[in-house]
Amino acid sequence: MASVKLNNIKKRFGDVDVLHGIDLDIKDGEFVVLIGESGCGKSTLLRLLSGLEEITAGDLYIDDERVNGRSPAKRGIAMVFQSYALYPHMNVFKNMAFGLKIAGKDKTFVNNKVVEAAKKLKIDHLLERLPRELSGGQRQRVAIGRAIVRDPKVFLFDEPLSNLDASLRVQTRVELGKLHQELKATVIYVTHDQVEAMTLGDKIVVMNQGRVEQVGSPLHLYHHPQTQFVAGFIGSPKMNFLNAKISSVGKENTQIMLESGRVISASIDSSNSKAGDRVQIGLRPEHMSLPCKENKIEGKVTLVEHLGELSYLYVDIPKEGELVLKIDGDNQYKAGDQVVFGIQPNNLYLFDSKGNALTRLTTSLEAE
Amino acid sequence: MTQPNHPDEKKPFPWHLVIFLAPALLIYVTFSVYPLLDTLFLSLFNTQDGNSTFVGLQNFITLITDDNWSHAFWNALLNNFMFFAIHMVLQNPIGLLLAVLLSSPKLRLSGTYRTLIFMPTMLSVVIIGFVWQLLLSPIWGISEEFLYNIGLGHYFDAWLGKEGSALITLSFISVWQFVGIPMMLIYATLLNIPDDIVDAGTVDGANPLQTFWYIKLPLILPTIAMVSILTFVANFNAFELIYAVKGALAGPNFSTDLMGTFFYRTFFGFQLQQGSASMGAAVATLMFLIILVGVMLFLFFVQRRIQRFQF
Amino acid sequence: MKIVTGFLPSSPLNVSKSVTVHAILMAYTVIALFPIIVVIINAFKTRKAIFNDPLGLPDSDSFTLAGFQEVLLRSDFGLYSWNSLVVTLLAVGLVLLLGAMAAWALTEYKFRGNFLIAFLFAMGIMIPIRLGTVSILSLMVELDLANTLTALVLVYIAQGLPLAVYILSEFVRTIPKELTEAARCDAVSEYKIFFCIILPLLKPAMATVAVFTMIPIWNDLWFPLILAPGEETRTITLGVQQFVGQYVTNWNSVLSALTLAIVPVLILYTIFSRQLIRGLTSGAVK
Repeated sequence: MASVKLNNIKKRFGDVDVLHGIDLDIKDGEFVVLIGESGCGKSTLLRLLSGLEEITAGDLYIDDERVNGRSPAKRGIAMVFQSYALYPHMNVFKNMAFGLKIAGKDKTFVNNKVVEAAKKLKIDHLLERLPRELSGGQRQRVAIGRAIVRDPKVFLFDEPLSNLDASLRVQTRVELGKLHQELKATVIYVTHDQVEAMTLGDKIVVMNQGRVEQVGSPLHLYHHPQTQFVAGFIGSPKMNFLNAKISSVGKENTQIMLESGRVISASIDSSNSKAGDRVQIGLRPEHMSLPCKENKIEGKVTLVEHLGELSYLYVDIPKEGELVLKIDGDNQYKAGDQVVFGIQPNNLYLFDSKGNALTRLTTSLEAE
Repeated sequence: MTQPNHPDEKKPFPWHLVIFLAPALLIYVTFSVYPLLDTLFLSLFNTQDGNSTFVGLQNFITLITDDNWSHAFWNALLNNFMFFAIHMVLQNPIGLLLAVLLSSPKLRLSGTYRTLIFMPTMLSVVIIGFVWQLLLSPIWGISEEFLYNIGLGHYFDAWLGKEGSALITLSFISVWQFVGIPMMLIYATLLNIPDDIVDAGTVDGANPLQTFWYIKLPLILPTIAMVSILTFVANFNAFELIYAVKGALAGPNFSTDLMGTFFYRTFFGFQLQQGSASMGAAVATLMFLIILVGVMLFLFFVQRRIQRFQF
Repeated sequence: MKIVTGFLPSSPLNVSKSVTVHAILMAYTVIALFPIIVVIINAFKTRKAIFNDPLGLPDSDSFTLAGFQEVLLRSDFGLYSWNSLVVTLLAVGLVLLLGAMAAWALTEYKFRGNFLIAFLFAMGIMIPIRLGTVSILSLMVELDLANTLTALVLVYIAQGLPLAVYILSEFVRTIPKELTEAARCDAVSEYKIFFCIILPLLKPAMATVAVFTMIPIWNDLWFPLILAPGEETRTITLGVQQFVGQYVTNWNSVLSALTLAIVPVLILYTIFSRQLIRGLTSGAVK
């Protein structure tokens, strides 16, 4: 197991800069999730770490050794691909044994390793099968098994769950989490699914257009997004945004005027802004309570989605726009109803015109 | 039938089915299936002297054992296997090499190379035969001069005119013309191998040579097998190249005779020997059997063992 | 330490590797084209220049069109080309139409004998039609079609159909059922469904089939030689073969005749090579 350090890593394809200098410290045994929209450079970064793609500039250290020029196998990494990339002409055993065979390990050693890993992943009854005779979930396990047998210092996962159907994805996610605790391995995991990121990651790295937008624990990112981009990325359904203006600034309380002229108050430090600045208010669907006392807003329900334990209300606020509310599932709302709801001042988020967050004064218990 | 009908309503006769299928089926059966079956049937008769009499397997016995026929038959058959063997030995490795080079990542001009190398394959075998006949002609001496220039002049010979080298030379010409087909099909297969699989090999520690040997080669074997069976069928009814370069007599001294030219001579006659439809049919029947056995072996052994891989 | 590399091949190893790859491919390209080019350039030279300097380009001294004049004078190249064109276009056109109809019928409708007919067509992909030549010739004589282009067209249709039916059937299978079911719900006739909905969708596959069918027909010597050897029905391949056989010693004419046969094909090939290669490398013929 190993630590990984990235120092100003850059990548250029032809004339196009794909990564603009990535710095990252990954501790031994940490589960790090790289998340971002497609094309943000997260998969490219993973390929640079694996050694499949050459690093244009910067330094990559694994266990304090600079490994820029080393081939993938010599870096001590193992990778699980999105498509699983199983060798279609080899059975499960040979697929898992291939790396060890190339490394010239002796037969009994290879045999023990493969059987041990297969048992751990509960695929020991499938060793003779070809990949095309396996289900998606089984292939996934083989791909993970192929990585495990090599005892790598670092595991790299490239969107490993995206080809599974929804229920299998949840199940495999849980198993991956358990596996990580068991192996205590350093894992770098790429995904575009924020639920995977929140549930699996010790640390989440949000990437945007070839840059690291923010690094932090899942709860930290949830409560203290540094930018509007991160705020919109973490949480489901997405955070609602409304246009607004600061009407009065303060260290502990800020008054904000919405487009309709309605004024609401937020526990936010706006001492670096001035009255009249254009801002965006961020409202998480789960933070708007009905009924309520503070910051009352009323609107008309346009659609209700009942999910059982909770419901999504789509509410049209005159002159402001549409908001999504996440409320308790035990309700009688239907389209056309008028609703009044409120927002606690400490549940509001505020972003300036450049998309940077204003400091929130929350009392929550989140770390850091 | 696909149109819904009420149970008590009588189904109308599916005329559209007949109209869609009949023209193709009629032409195909009349001019391909029937003649083939008729040929197989005719090989059991003797049509010499104008009337046809049933002779059972006599034509085949004559072909294989009679002094006048058997020598020519076995000669053509062996030559044909030689012709095929040279194709196998040269065409697949060269095609494989070219395909691998063409598929190297980020290769510039790869489309141009592909188009140009495939060019001879497009031309008629007859034309290609003549072109090489001229190039190898000692009268023109263009090959001779070329060999002298690279210091190999004394190796030059009138290869097409010598009994020992004519067939090999013709095989080379044929390989030269058709190497584009294995190249193209293997190239397509290589492109279809997902990058991820090759990357997985690299991560597993395989060097480029090991990646080729353990991962790519097994995946293109089915393509090579298919090219081989196509070549087998084409070789065992090859005719044009020999006919264009050496004529129906497949000289010198029948050293370039293949089943195709043997069939042609048997059917139409040559010099003193009269043509015979039934003997021709017998030769065609044997060619049919050889090709059938080849195809069957391919289907039952090669195709079954090398499964199609899905990625 | 910071290394910033530009858009250059990144290591000397890669450079030497790419040079080797280009060298081999270029060498083979020369091998593939050299014979053809030599024939074409010498067709434009005087007999003397052909022998004295076979690799030289024609210059003002050695340039001549005498060979071509002779070819055009002594043989009817225009007619041969026309014959080839008529036979090829008719055969390919009918293979496409009849093949598409048959492929549609065999894949869309379930009926007794469906499998047998499909199998019969599939056999034709591997078993060469040439093997039935003895009977084809006597059949053509009986039908009074010997020495006609019709005979060639009929045989070539029979020759091209198996592969056409195979490729087009594979393609028909990929057309979503909903399309035809929706049409049937609107009581559209089976003919209209095929000609107005299916046929237009088959276009890309038909292009592939057209290329695969066309080349062997245009280049064929066997059937023209046996079924239509007469002067009036000669195709270009047979015409060139006969001409070269007759005038072997007249180098100018032989080279010119070959050039006349090669150049149009090469021009067409260059125009359609993209299409052709796409057809070859697409999954259609696996």
